[in-house]
Amino acid sequence: MSHIHIDVEHVSFAYEKKKEILKDICFHAGETDSIGLVGANGVGKSTLLKLLVGLDLGFTGSIRVEEVPVQKETLPQIREKIGYVFQDSDSQLFMSTAFEDIAFAPRNYGLPEAEVEHRVNAALEMTGITYLKDKQIYKMSGGEKKLVSIATILSMTPDIILMDEPSIALDPRNRRNLIRILNSFEHLKIIASHDLDMVWDTCERTILMANGEIICDGPTKEVLSNQELLEANGLELPLFMQKR
Amino acid sequence: MSKIRNAIYEIHHMDTIASKDQWVNQIHPLVKFVLTIVYIATVVSYDKYDIIGLAGMMVYPLAMFILAELSFKDSLKRLRVVLPLVCVIGIFNPFFDRVPVQIGGLTINAGVISMITLMIKGVFTVLASYLLIATTSIEKLCFAFRLIHIPKILVTQILLTYRYITVLLEEVNRITQAYALRAPNQKGVHFKVWGSLTGQLLLRSMDRAGVVYESMTLRGYNGNFDYMGAKIRWRWQDILFAAVWLCIFWVFRKIPVIIVIGNLVGGLFG
Amino acid sequence: MHMADALVAPAVAGTMYVLSAAAAGYSVKKVRLESEPKKIPVMGIMGAFVFATQMINFTIPGTGSSGHLCGGMLLSALLGPYAGFLTMIGVLLIQCLLFADGGILALGCNIWNMAFYGCFLGSLLIWKPMMSKGITKAKIVAASILGCVITLQFGAFSVTLETMASGITSLPFGTFVATMQPIHLAIGFVEGLITAAVLVFVHEARPELLYCSTEAEKKEGRFTFKNTLVVLAVVTVLIGGGLSLVASSNPDGLEWSIEKITGSTEVESDGEIYDTVGSVQETTALLPDYAFKGSESSFGTTFSGVVGSVIVVGVCVGACYAFKFFRKKKA
Repeated sequence: MSHIHIDVEHVSFAYEKKKEILKDICFHAGETDSIGLVGANGVGKSTLLKLLVGLDLGFTGSIRVEEVPVQKETLPQIREKIGYVFQDSDSQLFMSTAFEDIAFAPRNYGLPEAEVEHRVNAALEMTGITYLKDKQIYKMSGGEKKLVSIATILSMTPDIILMDEPSIALDPRNRRNLIRILNSFEHLKIIASHDLDMVWDTCERTILMANGEIICDGPTKEVLSNQELLEANGLELPLFMQKR
Repeated sequence: MSKIRNAIYEIHHMDTIASKDQWVNQIHPLVKFVLTIVYIATVVSYDKYDIIGLAGMMVYPLAMFILAELSFKDSLKRLRVVLPLVCVIGIFNPFFDRVPVQIGGLTINAGVISMITLMIKGVFTVLASYLLIATTSIEKLCFAFRLIHIPKILVTQILLTYRYITVLLEEVNRITQAYALRAPNQKGVHFKVWGSLTGQLLLRSMDRAGVVYESMTLRGYNGNFDYMGAKIRWRWQDILFAAVWLCIFWVFRKIPVIIVIGNLVGGLFG
Repeated sequence: MHMADALVAPAVAGTMYVLSAAAAGYSVKKVRLESEPKKIPVMGIMGAFVFATQMINFTIPGTGSSGHLCGGMLLSALLGPYAGFLTMIGVLLIQCLLFADGGILALGCNIWNMAFYGCFLGSLLIWKPMMSKGITKAKIVAASILGCVITLQFGAFSVTLETMASGITSLPFGTFVATMQPIHLAIGFVEGLITAAVLVFVHEARPELLYCSTEAEKKEGRFTFKNTLVVLAVVTVLIGGGLSLVASSNPDGLEWSIEKITGSTEVESDGEIYDTVGSVQETTALLPDYAFKGSESSFGTTFSGVVGSVIVVGVCVGACYAFKFFRKKKA
């Protein structure tokens, strides 16, 4: 078994005592997995992603990233391995230009400036936005910001990528570009999204959630073509499969 | 509210001209910052009646506008904030300072002269800071601030505020537009929703700050902000530029150049 | 209330820079001690928030006019004095650079007049003591209004002092004060109401965001009291010093400062500003050394001035274009 993997065992989580957001979540993800995390609004997809990088810690059960348990002491170690793309690019991009923002993480990990520059350029090339290098963030369109957000985590050369609604606010061309980038990333990725068509195009495996529980975990082609299952859990078939 | 749109436009516009690939724009930010401060200090140091000496200080804005190829018209807009204030303060001088002075055969109050001097000072100082920000981006200025050991925490704070001003201006714009659409007959925000409208925005901003913080920690932030790795290097042109201007300021401050030249010419004809 | 560069003399500006820098240095130390990494993004974004919300027009009931948010008091109620002060510095700097609202030289004055009073007075003397025994809606309203009114009064008075000390206006001190203070009393009251409305909303929705909300039970006592005393003492000394300098009937005080400030040897004899004594002296002191031989009449000076100006402009413009021409040729 390769070293890149996530193991989630019997994880439950609640912000307030009575209202459980996640109930007894169990799954394993290996090096080449590409997982779509789907479910209606408010079923706990984002919360689950946040738990994986330790943004919330008060959970029960165990989460291990590459055999390192997620807890306060191990957070720096874990976060170095995981790239997390937020839903709102404006919150993710806090520096002034694309370059500065993409260089933020490598600099924090103490890389020499030449290596930082190399990493930034590589990340820009991977996302196909070299032309945005010195552009001010606030002058960018929503699509450009999203691509820069992705570049900011690619510059960390992460083992694992987590994304929260990446295709939101993207025009068709940028969305296609996003799908291309996702497919070119070979390691483990978990994508939480309502865009089932994108999940279909990028993920081999799909985890369907409802009310804080995993309802179904299987090959994307099976899960997302099961109309009955999807509709019972507040979703619909991917658009391309729907009859007009 | 067009005021907000204007502000957003203004920020974009200043940024565009500041990042032009121009000779003046490439001069070291610290040089331009120090020169601007020295210039402004020199201008305001003129006596309130020394109108002709002060007039000599026009060389700096004049030269910089030509060198940086900036539109003078653009800069006039910025005067509208400062001039009214200066006028309000200065307008009383003619009434309280009634000492008669003879100028070119006319007798006027000394107060009139001090009022005009004050306005000229107002114009010169505003133009000087415009020239600074029109040729130097905020990021470069912050780099200069770090060089003169302004604490990192303050510089980071400035950069972050600058980054999120446009985001929040857009948000304020949306919220006030949405409000205005449903309250067509009101000029501003009704006092009943003072708290909730602004408060909502505040809570959302706080949440955003939380997410920004999360995004930082996920990328290895531990309270220490590292930026501006791309150093701006000193070049001999920077030093020369500073030296030349400091000399010019000094000469104009010490010697009434305008009068000297005027007298020389007058002497030739007289 | 933003002071323009033209309204301050270098010495005044320098003094205020030193004072503001001292307060900033102290605040940086304090914020570092708290060492809460989360505070930095919060400060940055709250700065942008204050900047943006100052653009909202709040209709004042019963009048046609509108009021605006008071940044200093709001920030001090949310972030505390030190982080709030640093945040305000960022806001003021960006306002002055991007919108010419206030000047670079006058920034020290503006930081002092608005940020220092708003954050230190508002937070340490008003917010903290009032909220030490728990936060209530009524106390928030009272503290906001009181805080805004008092800090604006101090700010307005400082503006007056700084302008007078800079010697740029002939307006009598008394008249100046009598205009500035009442105007800012009204402004402060309205700003206080708006600030109160926002803070009450925050208190109801997310009380934990307010400064002192958790500390109230924990660490009150001598620490605050000591700080309060220090701030009070500093402010008293400053105000007292400023007052005695300007309001003293002895003209030497102001004359001395004008001489220092302008670096000019021709000291006007208007120690008391509306004093018209010495009009003859004044006339001769005007443009004193500039009349050279052969042009002793004031007409000669005027002539020289006009001709000289034209030539200086010509030479300057010519030199710049020549410079640019040769640069292009080289490139």
